Amino acid sequence: MSTEQPLPELDPVIHAQARLRVVAALNVLPEGDEMAFNSMKELLGMTAGNLSVHLTKLEDAGYVRITKTHRGRTPVTYAALTKRGRLAFEDYTKAIRALLDNAGGV
Amino acid sequence: MVDDDREKSPEEMLRVIEEQSTATVRLLRGDPLLLYVPWGVAWLLGFTALFLHYGLDGRPYAPISQMQGVAVLMAAQVVAGSVAAYGVVRMVRLSRGDSSARGLMYGLAWFAGMGLMIMIASRMTLQLPPYESGLLWAGFSLTVVAVLYMTGGAIWLQWPMFFIGAWVAAVNGLGVLLGAGWHALLTAVLLGAGFILVGGWLRLRW
Repeated sequence: MSTEQPLPELDPVIHAQARLRVVAALNVLPEGDEMAFNSMKELLGMTAGNLSVHLTKLEDAGYVRITKTHRGRTPVTYAALTKRGRLAFEDYTKAIRALLDNAGGV
Repeated sequence: MVDDDREKSPEEMLRVIEEQSTATVRLLRGDPLLLYVPWGVAWLLGFTALFLHYGLDGRPYAPISQMQGVAVLMAAQVVAGSVAAYGVVRMVRLSRGDSSARGLMYGLAWFAGMGLMIMIASRMTLQLPPYESGLLWAGFSLTVVAVLYMTGGAIWLQWPMFFIGAWVAAVNGLGVLLGAGWHALLTAVLLGAGFILVGGWLRLRW
């Protein structure tokens, strides 16, 4: 079978391994939940600076909502996927699967 | 880790998604070794001590008083509760929102159930002979455990947790019908050793 049909476009915001991992992790949380920044840092094995950069990029794209608050006197940051972020991740996963199906059909 | 802009194949990206999702689910679900094994060890030790005290035909198998058996059980349960609480607190601190609220309410239900059980059993225990009194404490506390495990399964839609609760209920019910000696034996083996095996098995699938 030929692969003449147009290939799906991949969202450039998510199509970077580090950000894809951030989004994939946040997508596991049920709606209404947010993950603590420190937990994400440990889970993803990233430095605070690196994770901050990626979260900011995702926030700028409207995919992630960041909440800064305090637990007692300690400042805590939480992150969650927005509806738009969940949709973007869903579309990205579909596109990746479509690419794989295409490659498999060759 | 740097932002890896190197072009990855779709297979690699899909694998990244799957691995990250699995790792996150694992983290949020908590370590089954912390949640099940300590209770298994506590029941295995405590109910074995009580079984040796009661025996199956009314004669003790070892010179252990009922109070010593209960002391072993309570001490082991305090340790188990502390380890499990550590596991739960670690889980709760990972995120906040509806799931944390659900976990908090569930934790409070445990306190309420166990607290009420202690109040009621303390009052009733004075009216009963020691053999029946021991059975009241053991049967009542495992009833709370069974119901709350089943409820937990319903809340988080986890069939294994629900079935573990149902299993506790079945063993407990059968043991209460057969008497204190059998109850202690069945609990030690089927729930004590059982929880250790289940914890290990869930950890392997973790």
